[in-house]
Amino acid sequence: MSAKVLLIDDDSDFRAAVRSLLESHGYKVLEAASGHEGLRMVTQHKPDVILVDIMMETTVEGYGITHSLKYGDEYAEFRNVPVFMVSSIEESPDERFPMSAEVEMIRPDRYLTKPLDIPAFLRLLDQAVGATKGAMA
Amino acid sequence: MAEPAATELVVVIDDEYAMRLSCGKILAKMGLRAETFEDGTHGLEGVSRLKPDLVVVDLKMPGVSGMEVISRVHQIDPRIVIVVITGYATIDTAVEAMKCGAYDFLPKPFAPDELRLIVNRGLERRRLAQEAQRHEMERAILTRRFVTFVSHQLRTPLVAVHQYLNVMKQVEQSPATRQEWIGRCLTRIEELQNLISDWLTLARVESGTLSQERIRVDLSQLIPVIVETYRESAAGERVSLESRMPEAGLPVRGDRNCLTVLFDNLITNAIKYNRPDGKVTVTGSLSGGDVVVRVADNGIGIPEKELPYLFGEFFRVKDESAKKATGTGLGLHISKKIAVEMGGTIEVESQVGVGSVFSVRLPAAVEAETPLEAQNKCGSRKES
Repeated sequence: MSAKVLLIDDDSDFRAAVRSLLESHGYKVLEAASGHEGLRMVTQHKPDVILVDIMMETTVEGYGITHSLKYGDEYAEFRNVPVFMVSSIEESPDERFPMSAEVEMIRPDRYLTKPLDIPAFLRLLDQAVGATKGAMA
Repeated sequence: MAEPAATELVVVIDDEYAMRLSCGKILAKMGLRAETFEDGTHGLEGVSRLKPDLVVVDLKMPGVSGMEVISRVHQIDPRIVIVVITGYATIDTAVEAMKCGAYDFLPKPFAPDELRLIVNRGLERRRLAQEAQRHEMERAILTRRFVTFVSHQLRTPLVAVHQYLNVMKQVEQSPATRQEWIGRCLTRIEELQNLISDWLTLARVESGTLSQERIRVDLSQLIPVIVETYRESAAGERVSLESRMPEAGLPVRGDRNCLTVLFDNLITNAIKYNRPDGKVTVTGSLSGGDVVVRVADNGIGIPEKELPYLFGEFFRVKDESAKKATGTGLGLHISKKIAVEMGGTIEVESQVGVGSVFSVRLPAAVEAETPLEAQNKCGSRKES
């Protein structure tokens, strides 16, 4: 069965491009345009990997989602689902949110920069999916 | 006036016992904490340990001199305010001390009131300096957030285009998808261009270069010209436009380009945030020495809780039906700046699902037009 990747991003163009890329590499793609919708889709569709934008023009953005997934009781079964955070801003998020303890609490599995470096992104995704599937076996 | 800190601390360094005692008493009565030291060495040790707000130091002491105390205190913390005590004979030295960084001096003998006055002034100065420092830090944080935000706004459309091209290069797309993606890329590039041009307008409004030129402009002629520019594109959205201007005219004094930008933003918003078969009505009137222009739509409206942020930078109404709207989020911010710059106001009334009314009030031009203006009038057109 092909692995499911959930894209949470408020930019529909970015989602369309990444969807096409992933589908052509055999992934099943789910899309959410807001943080709330994304969290709903996590429980509904149980993705294998989550790609989430940090700065979205919605009430729940990247860090909110990561925090919910890591600490929310209702998401307990998704604790080990890899979360990749993406942003178009190149400085590290630790620099932008200088509150190290809190940042540590909501650290995702990976930070990626937009536009995605395609070969590197596919490699990371492949590793992440392999690790999750391996852990489940 | 700056707020006093919890309890401010004053250190007194003087070799005379009576001086230390009386200063200590006066300062305590002022509600301050006071610590006294009998010489420079102990005084400096106390300053570096206690980090006082203010230091009162006698210039003439055995051992470490008062002058040296001043420079060493400022090495510990340059923000500590220093007041020097000096005898009549050493008034020149007092001036010298002030050159070295002392805030003020008290010639001996001095009355308790003099000490109180000078200490209060010194502490006030320190509070103001601290407040200025706080403002500076706040400003730095705001600037930083602003830069992050702007670079995000500019990068978002660029990233979308970049990602499309990247994927197109790697993965063969169907001709239909290719066509669609190229269309999207062009839209996003246009978005970026609009953002940049709005930024430039804003920068020009803020630097005042756009509003320096104040010529007489008749809005009853300018506004219908703007409305006409959008009639066709509005019809495409099934929105009808109407402008009702008084016969007597709506004269204001300002920059023609600025005024065009101001009303252009309001009118395009009224079209954009409208509904099919909606209507935009622009009405001009004169009211008590002011020109009032109301831009009314019967579109999606603005939720009450969002109204306070409406004229801020990068605000856009978040609504399902507003998704198609691709503004830069700067339009109303720019319009407001222009109106305020001209001594006017913009107000909004809105109801969700019913529509919004933006009212611009500008001071009417009272004086007659100059011959030059009259001459230019026939050639006046929208110039953007």
